[in-house]
Amino acid sequence: MLTYIIRRVLILIPMAFVICFLVYCGLELTPGDAVSHMINPDALGSMDPAQIEALRQSLGLGQPFYVRFWSWFSNLIQGNFGFSTNGGVPIANIIATRLPATLELASVALIFSTVIGCLLGILSALSRGSKADGALTVVGMLGVSIPEFFFGLVAILVFALNLGWFPVGGRSMPSYVTLWDRLPHLVLPSMVLSIMLTAGVMRYARSSMLDALSRDFIKTARSKGLPEWRVNLLHGFRVALTPVVVLIGFRLPVLIGGSVIIEQVFQWPGIGNEFISAVRSQDYPVVMTIALLSVMAVLVASLIVDVLTALIDPRVRLGE
Amino acid sequence: MQMKKLIALGLAALMSTTAISGATAQPINENPLSDPRVRQAIAYAIDMPTIAETIFEGAAVPAVGLLPDGPNKPTDLNPYAYDPDKARALLAEAGWDSSRELDVVYYYADQATADLMAALQAYLADVGITMNYRLLEGDIGSQISVVPDDPVNGPSKVTWDILYGARAALALQEYFNRYAYGLKPMIPNIPRMNELVTKVNGTVDPEVQREGYFEMEHIINENVYQIPLYYQQLYTYESDRLHRNDAPYGNEQYNYNWGVENWTIDPDANGAGILYTNAGPAQFFEVPWQNLGIWVHNKFAFDTVLEADPVLTPIGGEMAESYEVSEDGLTFSFTLKDGLTWHDGTPITADDMLWSIKTALKFPLTHPVLQSTLKKIDGAEAFVAGEAEELTGLSADGNTVTLKFTTLDPNVLLSFSQFAPLPAAQFEGVDPLNLQQAPFWQKPIGSGPFMIQDVVMNDYTTLVPFADYHKGAPKIEQIIARPSGDNDGNLLVNATAGKADFGYTKVAGDVPGLEGLDFMNVHPIDIPYTRMLWINQFPHPTN
Repeated sequence: MLTYIIRRVLILIPMAFVICFLVYCGLELTPGDAVSHMINPDALGSMDPAQIEALRQSLGLGQPFYVRFWSWFSNLIQGNFGFSTNGGVPIANIIATRLPATLELASVALIFSTVIGCLLGILSALSRGSKADGALTVVGMLGVSIPEFFFGLVAILVFALNLGWFPVGGRSMPSYVTLWDRLPHLVLPSMVLSIMLTAGVMRYARSSMLDALSRDFIKTARSKGLPEWRVNLLHGFRVALTPVVVLIGFRLPVLIGGSVIIEQVFQWPGIGNEFISAVRSQDYPVVMTIALLSVMAVLVASLIVDVLTALIDPRVRLGE
Repeated sequence: MQMKKLIALGLAALMSTTAISGATAQPINENPLSDPRVRQAIAYAIDMPTIAETIFEGAAVPAVGLLPDGPNKPTDLNPYAYDPDKARALLAEAGWDSSRELDVVYYYADQATADLMAALQAYLADVGITMNYRLLEGDIGSQISVVPDDPVNGPSKVTWDILYGARAALALQEYFNRYAYGLKPMIPNIPRMNELVTKVNGTVDPEVQREGYFEMEHIINENVYQIPLYYQQLYTYESDRLHRNDAPYGNEQYNYNWGVENWTIDPDANGAGILYTNAGPAQFFEVPWQNLGIWVHNKFAFDTVLEADPVLTPIGGEMAESYEVSEDGLTFSFTLKDGLTWHDGTPITADDMLWSIKTALKFPLTHPVLQSTLKKIDGAEAFVAGEAEELTGLSADGNTVTLKFTTLDPNVLLSFSQFAPLPAAQFEGVDPLNLQQAPFWQKPIGSGPFMIQDVVMNDYTTLVPFADYHKGAPKIEQIIARPSGDNDGNLLVNATAGKADFGYTKVAGDVPGLEGLDFMNVHPIDIPYTRMLWINQFPHPTN
């Protein structure tokens, strides 16, 4: 397994390079650049084109795109993330301030959705055909199908504006010191983000559990006289867990990429919000760094899923 | 070729000085949009009052003429009131080819603009004109502002037939300056307009300027070189907690005597005198020379050299104790008040002024009116080009700063009423080209009534009173600015939650929601901001 992991880690590097290059090419195809974003179109006609061009050159935007890409990448492998084109802020600082906000939000949502989703999925499978199963199936379908921004707006309207239990948005206020102070800000966005994640996990857990419960080894376990809870949880759920782990594993990148919609709706100062701003303002270095982090998160999550699957399911042999 | 050019020049001159009649109206090149009758027909085909009432929910004022209402606009302009029959007749007279499709472009991504485009399409279709519209993205400048090599005959370097855009003006000359020779991407040169642009920019006499504005408005109106659609208003919103204490309302996009140091606010539920506002910085504070007063946090934090009234007429000094303009208008000097300090306690000096003026001159994003003033300082051209180390027309003696201009600038006082100097010591080694990228803009040190206290980018910014403010310490205990801007759904959410006590928006869509809050007061303010159509009269390549 160690050899397999080392081989996969080594493959990550060229894969990340190629994906980043493709992302950079995609950005290059979009019209305009950071300077064209800085100027209000209404004022364009009155600006001095020579000075605008000088600004463009001073920010390195006049170079061919492959030169800019290589400059960014070579700095990156030396540990230098570069600077935001628009505001001149070191990108390391941007990541350091925005990533914790996203990790905080996504971690809560991921843990909550995993635990609740698995529990409800098992309950639904064990009570297959019952009213509870039907109700959970409907709730799960609603959770998967209704867009999260809608849940977000409803949550703000009900719990923030009407009931006044939680703030409408933001992550903190000037007087806050501890995480406990900030907790009211975290509740609504993390719960709304959890809804969709929970629904997905629940649907997956239910169908995996039903599949596992129909296997021969479950009948064997029952015929041996094992208690029903033991048959279901230790034998059934362990097998059912494999596809659920795959699903959860592939959601790990949410921790990095953030949930753009939720961060926008709840004014959450996370990496997803930053990514949207950077794309809109064509701040290539920021976009590329966040894209790289997301790419690495996906690739690492894929590796983790493989390893966990092998650990959970004895039939899986890595590297064979 | 010479003959063709002469004919075109003659026709252009004729068109620019005479009212259009059936006998004189005709195209000046192969583009049918160069025919004034076609442009008039387009103007007659659009029912702007209905559009203002429906799409903009009454939050737009149908425009007659480019300039906002006031003494500088003639009152006898043709309003081109909606008359589809007249539009059809004009098109028939001009021999309009109904198979031709007009390419209409715009660069605002909001829903109201998309709705407006659909409405224009329907109105034009009703009179027999087919149009398609598309949103310009990316490098807008290269798509709308590139001028032709030959400003008389073209061809145009832009590909569209009609552009929907706006002119937001600090100085009224801005409405017309692009009519100077060779600056219009879409309109063949108009000799008389060249002269009038020179006239209104070459005098400080308001009567002479007014004559020029009147004549230019008439020329544009009669020839329909542009079609003004509506005047955009600005809306200030204030919660019942806020008391401006008789301070005036003005054009919030710029700096004026808003008297914020005298504002008071009722305590909130926790007993704190906190004012909540919006449009806090998301990534950095913008250099206040670019959009002048558009960011409320910059207005809280920075003072300007002179002070303007609500309609932006300079009325006296702000940081300046006194100022003087020579009789010939070519020398301007101002003397700083004694004892002024930056928010970090260091003194504000004439050296800060000199550095700020020189840097603003080289900063590429400095507001065009301010930039235009600074470029007239003696030696500016060589200084900007890097051929001279110093700006020869700029000097200081004690607390007095003197600027000598090579040519008269009618907007010197206006420019300095919007110019917020910066602390030079904070920018050592910073290239003026990359001023916005300086670390300073993560937490600026200003000179205004409030100083920046905490900044959590894209979450909140707090400001607190500057105790040593030269007009007296402000009375509001703290300001908290959230980053939601106008045209952002979070603005209304924050306002509903009581987290927006003061702010302003130009987005008509924000207004009904704000007006619907029973604790919110919304004030419409007329500003010089005209939305309009530009018509490309040159032959041009297609998109």
